[in-house]
Amino acid sequence: MARKTEIGTPDRSRRRPKFDGELGSREKIDLDVIGKRQPRLDGPEKVSGRSVFADDVQLPGMLCGKILRSRYAHARILGIDTSRAEALPGVKAVITATDAGEIDVNGREPVFASDVVTYIGEEIAAVAALDELTAEKALDLIEIEYEELPAVMSMRRALKEGAPLVDGKTEGNVWSDDIDNYGEVEPAFEAADYIFEEKYEAGVTHNLFAEFHVAVVDFSLPDKLTLYTPTQTSYLMQHALAPAFGLTLSQVQIIHLNTGGAFSGRGSVRPHHYIAILLSRETRRPVKIFATGDEEFLVCRALGENKYKMRMAMKKDGTITAFDMEAEMDGGAVGTEVGYFGWMAGLCNSWVFPLEGLRMRRRCVLTNNRPNFLGHGGLMLSTNAAIMQLINTVAKKIDRDPMDIMYQNAIEEGHTGLSGEWFASCGLRECIETVRKASDWDNRYGKLEPYHGLGIGIGSMAAGAKGAFRHDTSAVMVRVSEDGIVTVYTGIPDMGQGTHTTMAVIVAEVLGIDPNDMKVVAGDTDLTPIDVGAFAQRGTIQTGNAARNAALDAREQLTVYAAGKLEVDKDDLVFRGGKVYAQSAPDKLMNFKDLVYKTLHGKEGRSVMGRGFYNSPLQFGTTSWSFGAQIAEVKVDPDTGEVQVLKVWVAHDLGRAINPLACEGQIDGQVYSAMSQILYEEVQTDAGLYLNPSRLEYKVPRSYEMPEIDYYLIETIDPFGPFGAKEIGEGIIVVSGGAIAAAVSDALGGEFIGEMPMAPWRVLKHIKRAQRQEAAGRTAA
Amino acid sequence: MGCLHLLPSRGVFIAMLLPDHSYVKAKSLEECLKTLRETGEKAKVVAGGTDVIFNMRLKLFQPEVAVSIRGLKDLQQVDELDDGSVRIGAACRLADLIDHPLAGGRYPAFKQSLEAVASTHIRNMGTLGGNICLETRCWYTNNSDQWREGLQGCYKTDSELCHVIKSSSKCHAINNSDSPPALIALGAMLTLQKEGATREVPIAEFYRADGVNFSVLEPGELVTHVTIPPVSDRQVFIKITPRKGMDFSLGAVAARCDGQGEQISNITIVLGSLVTAPVVLDKPAQVVLEAGLTDDAIEKAADLVRDELGEVSNLYGRSIYKRQIAIVLVKRALVQLREL
Repeated sequence: MARKTEIGTPDRSRRRPKFDGELGSREKIDLDVIGKRQPRLDGPEKVSGRSVFADDVQLPGMLCGKILRSRYAHARILGIDTSRAEALPGVKAVITATDAGEIDVNGREPVFASDVVTYIGEEIAAVAALDELTAEKALDLIEIEYEELPAVMSMRRALKEGAPLVDGKTEGNVWSDDIDNYGEVEPAFEAADYIFEEKYEAGVTHNLFAEFHVAVVDFSLPDKLTLYTPTQTSYLMQHALAPAFGLTLSQVQIIHLNTGGAFSGRGSVRPHHYIAILLSRETRRPVKIFATGDEEFLVCRALGENKYKMRMAMKKDGTITAFDMEAEMDGGAVGTEVGYFGWMAGLCNSWVFPLEGLRMRRRCVLTNNRPNFLGHGGLMLSTNAAIMQLINTVAKKIDRDPMDIMYQNAIEEGHTGLSGEWFASCGLRECIETVRKASDWDNRYGKLEPYHGLGIGIGSMAAGAKGAFRHDTSAVMVRVSEDGIVTVYTGIPDMGQGTHTTMAVIVAEVLGIDPNDMKVVAGDTDLTPIDVGAFAQRGTIQTGNAARNAALDAREQLTVYAAGKLEVDKDDLVFRGGKVYAQSAPDKLMNFKDLVYKTLHGKEGRSVMGRGFYNSPLQFGTTSWSFGAQIAEVKVDPDTGEVQVLKVWVAHDLGRAINPLACEGQIDGQVYSAMSQILYEEVQTDAGLYLNPSRLEYKVPRSYEMPEIDYYLIETIDPFGPFGAKEIGEGIIVVSGGAIAAAVSDALGGEFIGEMPMAPWRVLKHIKRAQRQEAAGRTAA
Repeated sequence: MGCLHLLPSRGVFIAMLLPDHSYVKAKSLEECLKTLRETGEKAKVVAGGTDVIFNMRLKLFQPEVAVSIRGLKDLQQVDELDDGSVRIGAACRLADLIDHPLAGGRYPAFKQSLEAVASTHIRNMGTLGGNICLETRCWYTNNSDQWREGLQGCYKTDSELCHVIKSSSKCHAINNSDSPPALIALGAMLTLQKEGATREVPIAEFYRADGVNFSVLEPGELVTHVTIPPVSDRQVFIKITPRKGMDFSLGAVAARCDGQGEQISNITIVLGSLVTAPVVLDKPAQVVLEAGLTDDAIEKAADLVRDELGEVSNLYGRSIYKRQIAIVLVKRALVQLREL
């Protein structure tokens, strides 16, 4: 299964979307609804505890499912005896690998381990019982005989010659080994005046969603499978589950209700989904499986250990010409696409700098750890933290201001990147200038007290990335009810980012109505049209365009009556402020609600229902990128190593701020999460066992630790985004990470700190070392 | 070979199942002490429940009887005694003591230590007696029973083993409670009662250097009162945590002295949350007592902390880091004292 690829510079023309317009147009269309601060439509429900989450679902006759998990990181299962559990009154089913048969999880991992377990927490058996207590007791009664096998718990051990093979077959435990080679790397290094090298290591994390892993399944009839679960993509789940259980797509209904946080951790089906389905099929009753405290940490597929080596080529004048990076990623016991996503982590450097060459080797290594995937900010958070810290530190070495280095290297609109990306809108330099001025950088950088630092980070994020599937389609329906209330039907999940309100605002803009006169129906594949899901920052640009198209379709239908009634050309009609009027004669007008009523209650009885879809015009890749610059100010306590983030200035080129209030919310959340991952979050392990599997011991900061934030939303009006919007999904977090890491390093006098998180004990270690060196220097002098 | 299902019901959304037990709500102290004598080690006293109930859910405690002292009004009083001491009932809630003129109002270090406890919600429920008797903590025992099954047991459960310091012959769970260092620095006395007997124990002698039997409290015995003598206002409490609030200490210090400016006539320095019991620092105290609270003396005193502390476990933080924290805490406490 191991995969080795080498990607060279692709044909650049393939990646350029068709575009006939003129670039650089900053002319703003006069908008009425977009750009206003719109509170979330589901806000009152959420804050009053009325929102329904999967765990709130109670179905008649529902059973409690529980999973028996491996206690060993690597062991042979010699025998499983479920007879005592089956005999326990109240137990309705006990299932193991035999019951799963040929079914596996996305073709990647078994539903249950059958002969060998490869990580602590791997699923071995499951029970369904009348209540939770009985289910727990039944698990205690399942007897398993193990023979412990040697386990590899670190990438270092896994890569050693003769190391035990995690899956028994992958040579050298290297699941994937890919090299991306863009442009001319070696010549750039040969011609470089400076070559800087550093190493960076990032620890294991948990996505720490507010909502735990949960699956409520009703598969009591053979031709209807209903699954309630939080997800980023009901589409992909439907596509994975239907063939696995011999169903058609429409026989699988995924209901994701409200998703309580995702942070790149809910992008796929997981064993507990399959187990709940199997239990429901077996018992012909609905089954709920709910991950509890420690289990939540075991089943979460978040970031594993990632190690980077990087080299940067620079000219004397500060021009950055090439990067050469190597990444080792702990994939855990199951090979995942985490190695694939390393591709973006390397490439994102070439989105901000006009490089001559970029090389990235990314190896995904198998170990007997929990299978790993992605965290908030993906791998780009850690790579950007490393690269930005590197640039900030080398600027000091060559006696330059890192701000100037960033500015001079920043790409501009119309640039074509190394893998053929074409940046039709780019406000990177504007972002840099904005935060530079706002933070008074020129008067403060390098002049602060010791242990008080400033750091600058820049970055970019792709808004949508077509490639995993043939299409990247989102479709939206807009129903105009006879009372003038408009309902948006969308399949995109809102996991806190506010995308449902964003869609409402877009539709409201087109129809010229108040977004508060709107409803959003989402999260049920039986009700809503196709949507690939909320990942890769595709929500605003893909689903947003679909919403716009659907609204335009509905508006077109409404113009028929309006144009006749007002006796104007239908292209002359303006929908705005709840009114419909002629551009040429604004006194010819009618109320939107009246128009809707009359359209339906006319002789033709026209019911208005708009439909629209959007699929990126590209064969592969992205049309639009967000850009950002941030400055973080931190204070380090030299005695304890504690870091306090005082302030973050955020300037983000998001194309267009559809809802500035939600944009600020996204900034808050991502600055928080970046700070949390850079400074706090770490899963501590001992031989694969988690030592801090709780929200008390897995430290994340609280609202007290939140820095002050200044927001600058830079609008460049992208030609492909709906009303020019790009993304504010993960574009902030990767830049915040870089700025905060660089600021800590600045506070410590410019030393590169190659570890993440920068926990107090690590920071103190660096401070003490520097103090010792200084003392030794004084003695020598 | 047994099996493990790592399924604690620890989530807040799902009932974390309490082990079977009976519940007695004592109506009087006499009745309470009688029940405690009769049930002995099978009983657990519950006041605010913030620690006991949680540990019961983790199945760390599986008492047959939970004896609630919430109804005992006698233990919820704060009185000033004739000699100027303040006598505080052990069942007083932490939140009430913070602003009480005779408690938090009179003893600043005590107030600071109470304010440092967890969160508002926990301070609203938790009691002083509960804080003093807080179960010692470690990463092994403070996980669910199912999680613990993944490893062998330990001194606290059923094996002769400490997971924190594997070669150790005793339990290294730490006293992670905030008020004890402050109360020790203030010279508080505890009243311990059992049926037919009452004794007074200085809180400095209450704790033992063993994570399992961490106090001198005997079966059937209850901490009923805390008496704090009248002392000068030169007192301080500092706690370092990974984040503000809702967290246990990485290290805490309390100190108190008499005298003016740098010249002091009496000093107690106590470190908390580093080892199995609060540590009274004698040698560093001696140094500043002799030399005064000068910069030099404070440095010298801080240098001695490492020796006094002994073995620091690699628990909730690297031991080397925790030793550094201890030194910083002592320095800061002494500098603050000088300014008071």
